[in-house]
Amino acid sequence: MNGQYASLLIALPLISAFFVPLIKGLGKKAVKYYLVAITALQTGIAAWVFQQVYTSGEPIIVMAGGWKPPVGINLYIGHFAALFVLIVAAVSFMMAVFSIRAVEVEPIDKYTMLFLLLMLGATGMISTGDLFNLFVFMEITAISAYALTAYNKTGEAAEASMKYIVLGGIGSSFFLIGIALIYGATGTLNMAHLAQLAGAIDPTVAQVGLALIVFGLAVEAELFPLNAWAPDAYQAAPHPITAMFSAFVVKAGLYAMARLLYLMQAVESWHSVLKMLVIMATLTVFVAEFSALRQRNVKRMIAYSSIAQIGLIALAFALGTQSGVDAGVFHMVNHAIVKALLFLAVGHVAVTLGGTSLEHFEGLGKRMPLTAFAITVGAVAAVGIPLFNVFWSKLRILLAAIGAGYTWAAALVLIASVVEAVYYFRLIHTMWFAGEGEKVSENMALGLVMLFLAALVIVIGVYPDYAWSIAQKAGSDIFNVAQYVKNVPLMGVGA
Amino acid sequence: MISVYYFGAVSLILIGLYAVLVKKNLLKILIGLSIMETGVNLLLVSVGYVSGKSAPILSEGIGPNQAVDPIPQALVLTAIVIGVATTAMALSVAILIHEKYGTLNVEEIRRLRG
Repeated sequence: MNGQYASLLIALPLISAFFVPLIKGLGKKAVKYYLVAITALQTGIAAWVFQQVYTSGEPIIVMAGGWKPPVGINLYIGHFAALFVLIVAAVSFMMAVFSIRAVEVEPIDKYTMLFLLLMLGATGMISTGDLFNLFVFMEITAISAYALTAYNKTGEAAEASMKYIVLGGIGSSFFLIGIALIYGATGTLNMAHLAQLAGAIDPTVAQVGLALIVFGLAVEAELFPLNAWAPDAYQAAPHPITAMFSAFVVKAGLYAMARLLYLMQAVESWHSVLKMLVIMATLTVFVAEFSALRQRNVKRMIAYSSIAQIGLIALAFALGTQSGVDAGVFHMVNHAIVKALLFLAVGHVAVTLGGTSLEHFEGLGKRMPLTAFAITVGAVAAVGIPLFNVFWSKLRILLAAIGAGYTWAAALVLIASVVEAVYYFRLIHTMWFAGEGEKVSENMALGLVMLFLAALVIVIGVYPDYAWSIAQKAGSDIFNVAQYVKNVPLMGVGA
Repeated sequence: MISVYYFGAVSLILIGLYAVLVKKNLLKILIGLSIMETGVNLLLVSVGYVSGKSAPILSEGIGPNQAVDPIPQALVLTAIVIGVATTAMALSVAILIHEKYGTLNVEEIRRLRG
């Protein structure tokens, strides 16, 4: 089959979103099942692309309109993008299943549309090969995320959404200024072409442009000090959306940041930008873990924990070494699985028992044993206990940080991990050893999804080699820029 | 020589940023965001501006060599549309906030804490 079919990854959610109003005529339930069907289809396409890319070892380059880059816009689905497009689609599918039960607020058709657009935006950010196209996809993601945050129409939701809009607006403006500077210096927007020309840019312009782009993306990627919106938005958004934010929306921002950073590594002032990012990332981990400790609301607590893990990934990407990037990608995969599991389970508790404050979790082990088991697996994994998947990636990030000479960053992250253990074990203790309760019936479909994710956590934890080899391939896709440039069939400009 | 357009663009961005950071009224903050976006758009257009050239529309007497760089103009068109969408979204959220809190003062909109 032709690789150009990979453009369906972008086309399918977009077209399906347009058809939602027609499906709505068939009834409220129909819309929800329509969403499940479309996300399942998207997962199938993504799985095909993944299989195609990993068996051939060649990236799929989709050229819009048949124009060769840099004149036309291209999609670049390499090892990293293939892996993450699959994760985006699979998590969306699980959350679509969850939405059947979790989302009761009207208008459900608008929810479905925004859900599909959010998935589309993240897919596009990950697979695009053009700087401005990246901006457009980022805005699609951001605007649907603003709307979904406010979806519950409570005061809290509106407040969280407003914070997100103001910070996101500043971030996108900075990002656009960065694009203007880099376009002014190189005259191109294509990422591969940009990498070729990066060495010739004036170092100051490149440094300012790159710093502005990193700063702009830091809003989406939830790095300190631009992450004030994140815990509020996570808490106020509908439960499936929170899981999507944590599992892939923020990852798309992080990936875009890492990709642009490594593309510009020929720039002389590159290392000073990296140093800025190391400091931002370490502070993110540290501040978020200590904020999580104070939370009484479990959803908000896990939101802070998610931000801390994101900081850890950003730290891995900012090291500037091959092992750091590989470890970062591995952690991205693990984090997506664990946080999808945790937010799904916590959301399930919230829907069934009516809240997410710590009191609702008392005696959960007796009332909803399956969900409590899922949360326990997720929590133990997130702390980084051996034989769970996060342990391997956390270890590799710490080793890479020490290898790159950032021992202080590794030490601070380790201290933060101890804090993380404290609040997660407090949660586990509350669930299993505090309070009493009658058994409540659990949803079987969600139970299966949770068991699947928990099994994935443990399988990767016990046999990390296969997942690690995939992560290494995806990591070198980001790190090895020369290969990236070679893979994109650039048209000689002026020829 | 630094052109007057760059100067104008940067001052618009800074005015907008000032409004976002300092003002207490939500609507003023949103106006600040819009001013900032305008500044960024002006910056993008002036990056592609070539003194004395005409608009990049292929018509009689205007070949590729007599026009300014068309790419930034295409970018700005897209950015303006995105800006409109963001502003509309933000205003509708502001209406919702006013309904729920009865105020637009950001210091009083503080139910989510911690």
